[in-house]
Amino acid sequence: MPLSRLSAPGFPEVAIRERARRGTAALWPFAEGKEYGTTLLGQLPSEPADDLDALRLVPPVLMPERLQKLIELGREPYFSDVSLETRIGGFHSSLPVYISALGSTRAAHDDLGIAVAQRSAAFGLPLVIGENVSSVHGYARRLHPERPCFKERAFAYADALPAKGGGLVIQQSTEDANAELWNRVYSDPDFGHLLSSGRLGFELKVGQGAKPGLGGLTLVGPEEAERLRPSFLVEEAFGQDGLRLRSSAPGTFTDEILRQQIRLMRNNYPRALVWVKLPPGRDVALAARVAWQAGADAVVVDGAGAGTGLAPSAFLQGVGLPLLECLRRVRQPAGCLLASGRMWEATRIVKALALGASGAGIGRAALIAANENPHAGLTRFLDSLALELRLVLSALAHYRVSDVRPDDLWDPRSSATASPNLSA
Amino acid sequence: MLVETLPEPLQRPQVHLRSETTRSVLRVQHALLDVLRTRLHNLGFVEFLPPILGPVTDPGIRGAKQVTVDYYGREYKVMSSGILYKQLALQAFDRIFFLAPNVRLEPPETVKTGRHLVEFFQLDVEIARGSYDEAMRLAEDLVRTATEEVRRGCAEQLEALGRRLPASDGPFPRRTHAACVAELRARGRRQSPDAEIAWSEEEFLSRLAERPFFIHDYPKGSRGFYDREDPDRPGILRDFDLILPQGYGEVASGAEREHEYAKVVARIRETGENPAKYGWYIEMLREGIPSSAGFGIGIERLTRYLTGVDAVWKARPYPKLPGMPCP
Repeated sequence: MPLSRLSAPGFPEVAIRERARRGTAALWPFAEGKEYGTTLLGQLPSEPADDLDALRLVPPVLMPERLQKLIELGREPYFSDVSLETRIGGFHSSLPVYISALGSTRAAHDDLGIAVAQRSAAFGLPLVIGENVSSVHGYARRLHPERPCFKERAFAYADALPAKGGGLVIQQSTEDANAELWNRVYSDPDFGHLLSSGRLGFELKVGQGAKPGLGGLTLVGPEEAERLRPSFLVEEAFGQDGLRLRSSAPGTFTDEILRQQIRLMRNNYPRALVWVKLPPGRDVALAARVAWQAGADAVVVDGAGAGTGLAPSAFLQGVGLPLLECLRRVRQPAGCLLASGRMWEATRIVKALALGASGAGIGRAALIAANENPHAGLTRFLDSLALELRLVLSALAHYRVSDVRPDDLWDPRSSATASPNLSA
Repeated sequence: MLVETLPEPLQRPQVHLRSETTRSVLRVQHALLDVLRTRLHNLGFVEFLPPILGPVTDPGIRGAKQVTVDYYGREYKVMSSGILYKQLALQAFDRIFFLAPNVRLEPPETVKTGRHLVEFFQLDVEIARGSYDEAMRLAEDLVRTATEEVRRGCAEQLEALGRRLPASDGPFPRRTHAACVAELRARGRRQSPDAEIAWSEEEFLSRLAERPFFIHDYPKGSRGFYDREDPDRPGILRDFDLILPQGYGEVASGAEREHEYAKVVARIRETGENPAKYGWYIEMLREGIPSSAGFGIGIERLTRYLTGVDAVWKARPYPKLPGMPCP
């Protein structure tokens, strides 16, 4: 089935498509290489999309870290000496990046979800399969002839994994829990090789950035609505054209409920890694602390402004903490912290790393890149991101992802000293 | 598939049932069932015939998958244990038991433990207004009685099997979960303080023991929502496992039950589920049910211990191993 063209209002879709088409060539401010020599380059004024984008990365002038690298290498280091390999939530990853949950939303299925799964696996990046895929599209058999079921998505990824690296993370909603998705995966022999190679994880979705406080939402046709009605809330909230709103329960959490759900995951699935995805709520720091104390291998903080299949406009515009404020509130993470929301280029990712994150989740950007070209778009996009990360990290005199720190940041709204409110 | 690695008796059940070992084991099992029933009858328990299907079943089954069937267009479950129905049974009588078949699609990795079956039978006991101390005393009484009666009545089979049963006199020691974790760690073993004792560690503790013993007071988050949290010690459950010595491991699990509506709803939520799934059960709790305590004893595991066979499938006429397409 031919792919329809995705759009992403408010997101740098054009720049992402450019990277998906031209790969590393798209990192430069020319349309084509021949412009070099005829164009004078300087600062390109742009309006930051949010407070995190408004921060600047500030390389040092004096750099003892580079001296250490020079001594290690016996020659001057280059950006190509930066190692981007890292650990994300217990998995080995080739970049400080994972592909965040693409759920049952229509934009992520057809062949697009498959393309994203295959290309991200080949790159050695962890991938999260979002909630409700199994409940809405089927576990091992397609419930809709044109939409891949859960195991197709999972094995498009698993079959393309290299010998080392990557990991498949499976989200479960309350409705999936009723259908025992995690138990089903854990006892399914087809997932045995992922378990035995330490590359299977389960993500407890407490909420998400685009619509904190709400559960998963999708629009479905009347026929599908009737099929889903026993498991979900289905309402005619979208007017007269026949589409119905399918809602997941957002789930009720207290600190004790969160703690015990995580402990039960560790108890019941001792060979799977445990991820917890938090919405950008006012008590995000407390929730993150509870999750780490209960043994979560990763806590994902999804900032307001994160992408989604469907959210009410009011939520997109005025609900939830921006990602920067979430990271500031979490401050010093007691475990692996992952950040998601509007991630697509290296400086935003490195800023999140400087604020304590170990990696960043890419959602919409991966879908757009794969939509531009299902065979090579995401690979070209990731190639360009890897080069850009190397350039930025080496400028900061870091040769490992884990060396990024708060004084790599400057907040233009604070005093002239280097980011006093960030490094505190 | 792994079917090539199955021992011949598991691929060809007729070979299994013709073997002298199997015949001796099944004779001991027959005697065991008789002893357990008689003992419970004598103690005033009423035998119930267990349910087979239900809209919900026991979710507290550590990573195993329930079996779903199409029940007139609705999803129903094959009982993974009758726990919820035991509480229901107390609407009729105060002391009940049933010998119930349980089906659990255990994670394939458990095929190596020698202690997991997909289909097994459980002696399920429930006591209205009982405490977990009372439940432990009864479980101890049943295992001791069974051991002594089998030792006395099945001497010929035990002789043929070369089984010398360890002592079962004297009280079974009781150790808290926390003490077991501390002991394991002191011996250089790995064990989470927040989780069930791992199968390998349970076997390790079992090998150190000379007589059956209880592990009690598990941490919340390691068991089903129905194990009662101690009101005076938040985070600690009033529950237990009975562990057999010589590496045979867990043979019974039990607890006092959460029975107050609001507490059960909150505990269900701690497992990630929507309480609406447990419709009839929640409705019954709203009306109010008595407090209770109870336990389930794995019949094949107890048979394995009594007969000394090296794997639990040898104590079942029609064994099915996790992940294996057995007949």
